Amino acid sequence: MLRYVATRLLLWIPSVLLVMLAVYAMAFYGAGDPIKLIFLRAPGDVAYNPERIEAIRQAAGLDRPFLIQFGSYILNLVQGNFGNSLTSGRSVWAMISAAAPVSFKLGLCAIILTAVIAIPLGMIAAMNQNTKTDYAILGSALFLWAIPPYVAGPLLMVLLILILPSGSVPYGWGGIFDVRILLPLIVLSFQPIALIVRQTRAAVIEVLSEDFVRTARAKGVPEMAVAVKHILRPVLTPVVTQLGLIMITIVNGAIFVELVFGLPGLGRLTVQALTNSDYPVILAITLIGSFLVMLSNLLVDVLYPLLDPRAADQMRSR
Amino acid sequence: MSMQPSVQPMTVPLVDDEPPVSLWRDAWHRLLRNRLAVAGLVIVVLLAFVAVFGPWLTPYDFLSQDLNARNQLPSLAHLFGTDDLGRDVLSRVIYGTRTAFVVAVVVTAVAVVIGVTLGAMAGFFGGWFDRIVMWLTDMTMSVPNLLLVVVINASLKGPAMAWMEARYLETLNPFYRETVWVDFLLVFGSMALISWPPYARLVRAQVLSIRGRPYVTAARALGLTNRLILTRYVVPNALGPLIVSVSAGLGTAMVLESAFSFLGVGVNPPTPSWGNMISDGLRVWQHYPHLLAAPAAVLGLATAAFSFLGDGLNDALNPKGSK
Repeated sequence: MLRYVATRLLLWIPSVLLVMLAVYAMAFYGAGDPIKLIFLRAPGDVAYNPERIEAIRQAAGLDRPFLIQFGSYILNLVQGNFGNSLTSGRSVWAMISAAAPVSFKLGLCAIILTAVIAIPLGMIAAMNQNTKTDYAILGSALFLWAIPPYVAGPLLMVLLILILPSGSVPYGWGGIFDVRILLPLIVLSFQPIALIVRQTRAAVIEVLSEDFVRTARAKGVPEMAVAVKHILRPVLTPVVTQLGLIMITIVNGAIFVELVFGLPGLGRLTVQALTNSDYPVILAITLIGSFLVMLSNLLVDVLYPLLDPRAADQMRSR
Repeated sequence: MSMQPSVQPMTVPLVDDEPPVSLWRDAWHRLLRNRLAVAGLVIVVLLAFVAVFGPWLTPYDFLSQDLNARNQLPSLAHLFGTDDLGRDVLSRVIYGTRTAFVVAVVVTAVAVVIGVTLGAMAGFFGGWFDRIVMWLTDMTMSVPNLLLVVVINASLKGPAMAWMEARYLETLNPFYRETVWVDFLLVFGSMALISWPPYARLVRAQVLSIRGRPYVTAARALGLTNRLILTRYVVPNALGPLIVSVSAGLGTAMVLESAFSFLGVGVNPPTPSWGNMISDGLRVWQHYPHLLAAPAAVLGLATAAFSFLGDGLNDALNPKGSK
């Protein structure tokens, strides 16, 4: 197992390098001129001064050929140096490590909320298949799925402004035990919940027709125990494999949610960096985002044999 | 059903004259029995009709401004009201439907062509080609896709526009003035770039399972060429699951386009798109809720319709519920 994990990590490195090369090339040949950004925040250089620009270009090493610049960027990266932001001049690592905990906490809470709400709802829907309960749950899941976070966020926010007394509008960040997290969390969880409800429902319906469920019921096991012991366990396997997909939905959703609710997380940092063409920050975020998705896929692969012993046999025999 | 004539010559047909019920016909009947799927199908067909015949359906021109009728709430003259420039919202939503369908169809078509070709070849030939294709899909799927598209558009749009402008000044060919081509190439291209891997994986898995079936072995034993086996036996049999995922993909592409427009990297503003209208509407919606409600509702309707249709198709084409 350890060897498997190591191989996967090693295979991830060339792919992420290629992606970063592509992003670096777009930054190099693309729109944003980093000199202008550095120039703008240099004090006393209001006038356009070609000599000064050339000096900045040389000092920042931006006059070197593309591949050498990329190579030195990667070398710095390996040593843990992410470079400095072009707009603020702050170290990218400091910016990321300030923003990342906000996004991680939010994302983790969203995953937990999704699991806690969606899996039971999906089971209830499946066990009452084609009844009003089923249609109500499926219908609401579909409704949630159809509202993108950038529509749901502002709508809920304005709804709250109308209900709550002014001044107590949830805006900003106060940690995960702060009331203000509720709204962004709910909005962020909408689409994952919809996804998992449908997944769980489909999986449970499939399991319900299995022999072992019929046997358990026939020998008089209480319905609650059947649901938890005999149905939930095999259903978790296909649902857990959706974690990677959920991860992407949450990473994407966080961009909008953080923007709308003013959370100082990675999503907002991304949008700011993009509007400023702040490429050191964009590259670092690409790296982290790719790492997260890879990690969640890896986690699924590691968890899978634990949930489904048959897969473990297959893996060993390979 | 009319009554059958009661007197019939007593001939027992040795061979059933009725043509065999094909898989597709069977699936079609199963689809029609599913009420939600039919509702989805009707909405999709309706929206497609609006998209195709939009110019003949709009009550007003989508660009013409009536500064005497700005920010009007829905009325008989303007069914969905008017926006801050006095443009008719209904006409803009109709043209937005056109944009959404063009984006969805073009992006999905490109993604399917790339995905099916690479996936089928990877599954059929295996070996190093398979490994490279799988590595490419893994790589594309491991990058947060929204980020990738936004980076591509944000960094390449400027240079592409500048290049078009330079070509125009050089050649005075009016083709280069249409910056809409840049939109098409970059927005559609980058969206297709992130959309093809799921199709490739699906088709590869299908082909791998079909490749070992007896009829393929039989075809090979008869001496059929690889190309013939692929096009005649493998691809048609892999089509069912592909249709299901294309239906879902069309809906996803529409949502993606609106997300990009919201972030300011989608189709450029004078062209109406639901995403543009939503992001404009978000700024003023406390005062003029219809500006947000109209495009958001239509987007939601379209997403839901494709989702219903996809579910129905899945049940109809994979009756065993196998994945």
